[in-house]
Amino acid sequence: MTFYKIAILAISSTLIVSCKPKFNVPESEQGNINVSNYVAIGSSMTAGYADGALSYDAQKNSYANLLSEQLKYIGANEFKIPFISINSIGIGNTNNAPSVLGNRTDCQGVVSLGPVKLATQGDLSVFSTNVYNSQGPFNNFGVPDIKVTDFSMNGYSNPFYQRMASSSTSSVLSDITAQNPTFFTMMLGLNDVLNYALKGAASESITPINGPVGIGFETSVNDIINKLTANGAKGAIANIPSIKTMAYFNTIAWNALKLDATNAEALTQFYSTLSPTVNFQEGNNGFIIADATQPFGYRQAVEGEFILLNIPLDSVKCNKMGSLVIIPDQYVLTLAEINTIENTINNYNTILQNIASAKGLAFVDINAFFSKMKTGFTYNGVTINANYVSGGAYSLDGLNLTPRGNALLANEFIKAINQMYQSSIPELVATKYPGVIFP
Amino acid sequence: MNRFYKLLIFIYLPFQQFGQGFQVNLQGQIQQGMGGAGTALMQDASSLFFNPGGASFVHQTSVNLGVTPTFARGAFLNANTNEISRTNSPVSTPFAAYGLFEIKDSSKLKLGLAIYTPFGSTVQWEDNWTGRFALTRLELRAIFFQPTVSYQINRKLGIGAGFVYANGKVNLQKDIPLIDPNGNYGHAELNGKASGYGFNVGVYFKATEKFSIGLTYRSKVNMKVSDGQATFKVPSSVANNFPDGKFASSLPLPNVTTLGLAYQINEKFNLALDVNYVGWKAYDTLSFDYENNTTSLIDTKSARMYKNTFAFRGGAQYKITKQFTARIGLAYGITPVQNGYVTPETPDANRINYTAGIGYDLGKHLKINASFLFTHLERMDTNLETNLSGTFKTNVCAPGISIGYKF
Repeated sequence: MTFYKIAILAISSTLIVSCKPKFNVPESEQGNINVSNYVAIGSSMTAGYADGALSYDAQKNSYANLLSEQLKYIGANEFKIPFISINSIGIGNTNNAPSVLGNRTDCQGVVSLGPVKLATQGDLSVFSTNVYNSQGPFNNFGVPDIKVTDFSMNGYSNPFYQRMASSSTSSVLSDITAQNPTFFTMMLGLNDVLNYALKGAASESITPINGPVGIGFETSVNDIINKLTANGAKGAIANIPSIKTMAYFNTIAWNALKLDATNAEALTQFYSTLSPTVNFQEGNNGFIIADATQPFGYRQAVEGEFILLNIPLDSVKCNKMGSLVIIPDQYVLTLAEINTIENTINNYNTILQNIASAKGLAFVDINAFFSKMKTGFTYNGVTINANYVSGGAYSLDGLNLTPRGNALLANEFIKAINQMYQSSIPELVATKYPGVIFP
Repeated sequence: MNRFYKLLIFIYLPFQQFGQGFQVNLQGQIQQGMGGAGTALMQDASSLFFNPGGASFVHQTSVNLGVTPTFARGAFLNANTNEISRTNSPVSTPFAAYGLFEIKDSSKLKLGLAIYTPFGSTVQWEDNWTGRFALTRLELRAIFFQPTVSYQINRKLGIGAGFVYANGKVNLQKDIPLIDPNGNYGHAELNGKASGYGFNVGVYFKATEKFSIGLTYRSKVNMKVSDGQATFKVPSSVANNFPDGKFASSLPLPNVTTLGLAYQINEKFNLALDVNYVGWKAYDTLSFDYENNTTSLIDTKSARMYKNTFAFRGGAQYKITKQFTARIGLAYGITPVQNGYVTPETPDANRINYTAGIGYDLGKHLKINASFLFTHLERMDTNLETNLSGTFKTNVCAPGISIGYKF
């Protein structure tokens, strides 16, 4: 009997083994680039900023770090990141802690799922410790909030830079050139217009196209690229996504003011003397928003206008903000403001694309990628879109990405690099990286 | 405002399925040895499946039991990431049992019962594989019970008909791309019993002593899952979006029309050829209807767009000694799955089956047949629904054995 058992076992295992399909996996070719010393240049997304803050996990999952892992297939060396301590909760640009998805109780006592800060304050020690001597020199020059005009500024005071600066008088650009990269990626320019958009176009300013280095967009970008490519380094330049693609501006609809017939009539009545054009109906209505160009400084929002994600929702729900109380300018982008911002982005993008082609660098059309995400697509059976929380791509700050979103973004860089330089860097398996974490 | 509070966790649940691969042509060891042909070559009780019209020409009361352990190994090379994923599917055991009864010696009427598994497979992909949100496991089983009447009109012509009752089960699992703080992804499991009805009719014509023709039609069987149970494991905060509950679905098992030819070169040497026309067009959509719908759990309809297809099967049999028979065969099957619709359930492709078999007579009553089948499938595709892009390869080794007893 034992003999038969052994025989059956032997035959079975032989069949199982001999049946195993084999593949010839294509080799990863470096093409005509040398990525041994890869440096990433950019702002929040490049640093890995997510859920409103920078933390160790977020840094690990930046598209730049994920890309560097794939570049190792074609010879990249270690990608050094100014890591925050693994035990730190991290810190955001208003000294805030990162957010997680959790249950919150609103002014009406309703409990719902939404972003909850991990702590009342971020880890301030992150900003008070310079890690250059212990961890540097670095390869990831993602500096949250940096504008193209900040790169040559000696002693640039941004706390995210100060913690990784080589000295108190260095500039970001001098630190980058000291690294002497053989290959770089650059994803810059968004903050030059986004800071203005994030303030509802009520404060901050847009970097002008013209002007000397440190003032104008074009000369500042050219200066960075010229210095980077002076020693023959190759690289990839990304453009800037339209703000229309971002969850931050699309989550709260312009007409999310829902009224019953009685309230609609009462509100219309309330506004009728001063503003006969303001009109409320049963169902969804445009919010009452501030607009300085109007006779009394307000009007009803129209389709295409954005209510920002940082609007105090309790004021909307319990204190009549948007109906009897005007939504302040800082939480609203009007059509005219959106138009200004979008025109600026288009102009910036023309400059970025021109310099990429003039210098023979790969051009990563992430504007197209973010547009595709706004529409939504399916990746390996997973639906990805730009919807807040549920879309899987945007982190809880509505501007930066989840690890899954970052992996997809890194793949856009890989595709552009492979196409430009005849390399064959394998893409990341983006489904291996999580979206928003649900409690 | 609503958009903000209501978490529209729109998760794609396009539960997909099986291919030509889930049609299992492993119904008799004699026929398997000969590439799967046997519609015009009547040798034993397995004729009940291959041609009910020819069963009346098998002059015996006999039973026949066979099993074909099937070792299928699949793998997927992701075209963009070069990542290889493999299946670790369990061995499946399609079986067939036939009983053929002669009411009295040489009567024209014969009765039979065939129990067999013409469809079914289990595909289990390794943990955390690339396509985990499309599918992690699919188990499909269908057992056909076919009581049959076969009547010999004259010495040349026989007709037969069988009624088919099919009973089966389906178990489909996939991961849901919602992750909890411990790093666990959600998981969906759909489990259900299915049943359906159909028939199997055939005509057998013995044109000359040496040459015979068979024509059969096995009807479509629509397997209906009416009382399936859907179970979801998701992070607790979204559990209300994925309520466990019942679901309904159905899966068409396609009709098969077969023309078979058999030629006897001499007493020892037989040839057989079958051409199958399979009505896979019936499988154009796979839908799941959940009893408890939510914004996240919506009914799904996934295009399958299968097309009708042909398979060609040929084989030879040679009686080496009085007791010992050797067989060899080849089959070519055209896939019903169009480009853009290849799924990890059954990554189907055009295929060549290589088969061989032996038969051995242990005296007057007892007969043993053994068979072996090997096939290799390879298909490069980008699925239109999931965008899963890469090359699927599957190797199938299926050794089988059957025992026949003649009364």
